[in-house]
Formats: sequence, structure tokens, C-alpha cells
Amino acid sequence: MINELKDPRKTFGEAVIEAAGSNPDLVVLSADSSSGSGLGDFPKKFPERHFEFGIMEQGVIGFASGLATTGKIPVFAAIAPFVTARPYEMFRNDLGYMKQNVKVVGRCAGLTYDQLGFTHHSLDDVAIIRTIPGVTILSPGDPVTIKKAVYAMIEHAGPCYMKIGSPKMPVLYEDNVNFRLGKAIVISEGRDVALIGTGTVLSKAVAAAKLLEEAGVSVRLIDMHTIKPLDRDVILSASREIGKIVTVEENFIAGCMGSAIAELCSQESPAKIKMIGIGDFYSGNGPYEELLGKYGLQPEQIKETVIKFLGNK
Amino acid sequence: MDRREILNLELIALNIRRNILRLIRAGEAGHAGGALSSAEILTALYYNLMKVDPGNPGWTLRDRFVLSAGHKCLVLYATLAEKGFFDKSVLDTYGALDSRIPGHPNMHKLPGVETNTGALGHGLSIAGGMALGLRLDRSPAKVYVLMGDGELAEGSNWEAASAAAMHRLENLIVFVDRNKLQISGPTTEVMNYEPLDQRWRSFGWGVRIIDGHDFEAIIGRVNEAPFEKGKPSVIIADTVKSKGLSFAEGRVDYHYWKAKPEELKQAELDLDNIEKQLTAKTENIGQ
Repeated sequence: MINELKDPRKTFGEAVIEAAGSNPDLVVLSADSSSGSGLGDFPKKFPERHFEFGIMEQGVIGFASGLATTGKIPVFAAIAPFVTARPYEMFRNDLGYMKQNVKVVGRCAGLTYDQLGFTHHSLDDVAIIRTIPGVTILSPGDPVTIKKAVYAMIEHAGPCYMKIGSPKMPVLYEDNVNFRLGKAIVISEGRDVALIGTGTVLSKAVAAAKLLEEAGVSVRLIDMHTIKPLDRDVILSASREIGKIVTVEENFIAGCMGSAIAELCSQESPAKIKMIGIGDFYSGNGPYEELLGKYGLQPEQIKETVIKFLGNK
Repeated sequence: MDRREILNLELIALNIRRNILRLIRAGEAGHAGGALSSAEILTALYYNLMKVDPGNPGWTLRDRFVLSAGHKCLVLYATLAEKGFFDKSVLDTYGALDSRIPGHPNMHKLPGVETNTGALGHGLSIAGGMALGLRLDRSPAKVYVLMGDGELAEGSNWEAASAAAMHRLENLIVFVDRNKLQISGPTTEVMNYEPLDQRWRSFGWGVRIIDGHDFEAIIGRVNEAPFEKGKPSVIIADTVKSKGLSFAEGRVDYHYWKAKPEELKQAELDLDNIEKQLTAKTENIGQ
């Protein structure tokens, strides 16, 4: 039901368990992390296909790579920085370079481990994983697309990284929404500005778009649920037809979705771009919604930023 | 094992050392020390112990070999070429632009290479995953790993060692090529890992120590694995770095050998001498 709040981790776990029912090659690896990833029921349903490793993310990525060489489809979900920044070299060499069919999921990503502070925030995961050739990066922004992203990721042959949050998030789509890996969803057409959101703060961008429409700004609202490969067509159309793009993400501005979009536009169809995200500093700690507010990621703030951006034509 | 069989393996190991020399000649340099110290281990694996099919390198029931110490790739290339996985002329491309045999192995470039390694401390966990996957498939295949002793300073190895023991990977057999030297000097002085056997044992492994140039020991011990029920096995192979080259044996400066022409000449003579000794031994058996 639209706007119903759902737990992203639970949603993710349900989708993996469902997929495992029809795919006997799917195995789950845990770094003391399955229950926290919504996969608490997986070992009960598929005890032979669940492997516990304890807190050793580097080791788990290597084991996942080895399992993939035998035709298994390993899914490894844990706290986002510990499956990206910590085992980066294993991700790069053992999954990317070896082209292994492994699915790594960073959960409680972005600022969602709010008061636990910077060590547990994951703001650079997209930036660092994006540099690894051939890795697909998924950043679904609502419970419906989280499920669809899980199925798409398992169907896709090759290494994937998927980023999800932890606070409950609103359902934004009907169940029949057309979700295709690498194809952005254009939620609404518009002529004044392209507002591109992703992942945990897609709902903030959706709410901001509504406020902007009420203020008389026509918004082309885009859900960039796949950050790599980028949907070139949607971005370049927005650049050519509108020429003004605002990106919204719960990531560092350096190297993440906005950066990827700017790289594309600057070379193929320059646009004026404003990136909303976390700047060049260590994130703070505190209640999640307040942290988002501190970094300008609440709908009213996004609206103000867009209006200011459009004013500086 | 009968003497003829062992002599035959010694002759193959000699050919593998000749292939290593051929690679060094092509590339003008390479990680020779650790490749030469592990020539008997690879010979034993590919010519006696492992079930592999050079004509069908992806055969699902094959035993796997993971070269964790990826810089020892010369011995892997030399062995795979000798075994017929690819034509020996490929060895002459070592060092060339986009050669199929880079300075660290790439599974997508060459048949018979199971993993991309080079960054140390990755191979054991990948091999552990293979062993886990094969067991899940109820496959009889085994997974063999070659690690360097200097490599053991990488902490990720010990994550993998714990996990392999915890998951009771009886089908995993690791060789540590203990040639006791790394770039900066004796391994025990750079980062002491001794007593290595106790360290592995305390991580839950079955352990044996052997002379890594003795075929009877290598093959005998592998055939006894798993050494303890429910445990992965490690064979600590004491070896001599740059084994076979008179001027380089046991010398740290040949870890990475930038070969001078006179050294290459001497290396040829050294290997010719080994061949003469082996031929004499063969004739003795014949009489």
C-alpha cells in the first residue's frame, strides 16, 4: 500500500528467502550478520545453505568468491562499511577482477546507524565500489523496489553491490512497477528541473518534488535505483531537455551518484548540476532524521536548495 | 614409491625449472626464488596427486589448485605448460604487452589457472570457499593451496584458517613453502611466525612438516590427508629458495631476479648438471 512504512532489512530478507526457494544455488554467508540483515529465518529454512563466519568480512568475501567458482550464488549482507571499505581489496580482486557471481549487500547504510557515529556510517561505499570495473551497484529507494532489486540482482550474472538502510521506509510504488536493472524510473515528467534521488533518501526527494510542484516548479523526478551501470539515456535526456539537474543522496558528494552523473554530463551533454549529499567532512552523530536535516536532506530543505539553484540561472 | 617413479618426477621438476628459466629469459626478470623453491610441490601435485585434464580445464570433478602466493606464478605457468594446458611458446611472451601470463596469474587469460592472485593473503579464503562449495555438491574433488611463508604475516590468512577449521574442510590441503626468506631478509627477522606448526595446530588444523624437495614426503603426506578427522590439513614444506641455481640458492637477492646474461648461462649449466646426475641415476636403476 502506498506510503505504508516497511522495514527494509525485513523486506530484503524475505526476498532472499523467497529467491532461495526457487534457486538451489543461492547460499547465504554471514559475518555474525544474518539476523541483523533480515535473514534470521534463512538458516532455519535452508540450514545447508547458510554459512556463519563470525566477524571476518575480508575472509567472507574470499569464501564467497571460492563458492562462486563452484556455481553457487553467494549472498553476503552485513553493515555497509564492513562489506565495502574494510574488505575493499577482496571485493576488487576476488569479486571484481575474478568476475564472480557474488551479491554483497551493505545494510544500515548511509547515516542510518545515526548515533553510532562515523565508523558505522557508510557514505563512501558507492564511491569506492564504483571504481571496480564490472560491478553493478543497486540502491533501491522503497520496499517494493528492494524486493525487485533482490530478484534482479540474483538473476544478473556478475558481482553486485546493493545498498539499503535500516529505518522503516514508505512504499512509493505499486507492486507492478517496472523495475529493470540499469534503467532509472522516471516518476514524473517535468520541464524546470530534473531531481534525481536514490536509495534511502529517495522518499525525501519524492516529498520535495511535491513541495516544488505546489510552489509552481515543474519537476522531472527520477529514481536512480541503479548507480552502475548508469541509465545514460534518462540522464542525457534530462540534461538536453532541461539542462538543470539536482541530485539527492545519502552519500558523500565525492565520488557517488551525483559525481557519476556529473562525469557523464560533463563529457557528453553539459548541464548545470547541484549535488545534495554529505560534504568533505566526517558525519556527526544523533537522531537519524535530525542528521538528515543537518545535511540538508529533508524535503523542505531540498525544495529550498532547488529553488535557490533555479534562481541562480 | 619406487625409485623409477621418483626419478621420473625429478626429471619433470627439472623441465619445470627449465621452463622457469625460459620465462625469466623472456621477461628478463621475475620472482624466481619462490618459484624454484616450490617446483617439486607443483610437480607432485600436477603429475601424481591432482585429478586434472589439460584438455578439459573446466572439468567439474577436477581438483583445484590455488596459488595464494601469486608472485610464484612462474612455477605455475611452467607446470601448466609442461602438463599441456597451453603451448610452451606462450612462455616466451612473459613480460610482453597484454601477455596471457602476467606477473601475477589471471584465470581469464589462461586455461588451468583457477584464481586471480597476487595481493597476498587472499588465496586461502578463496580456496576455503571452493572446498565448501565442492562439499555442498558432494564432490570428491580436493582443493590444494600454495602459500608463501612471508605471506603468513597477512592477517586475512588467519581469518581464513579459523573459518576453514570451523567449517571442518577436510578436502582442503595447504602447502606452506617455507623457504625462510622474503624481500627484506629472513622471514623470522622480518615478522616472526614460528613456531609455525604450533600456530596452525592452534587454529584447528592437522599439521605435518616435510622436506619440500622430497617427492616421497610430499606425496606420502598428501595421501595421508586429512591428518586429523574433521580438520583441514597443512603441510609445512621446508625448501631452499632459488633451488637448483648454484649462485642463487638461499640468497635473498634472488627473490626477484633481474637476470644478467652470465647468470642465465650459469643457470643453464646448473640445470644441465642436474640432468647429468639424474641420467646417471636412471642408468643405475636400469642396471
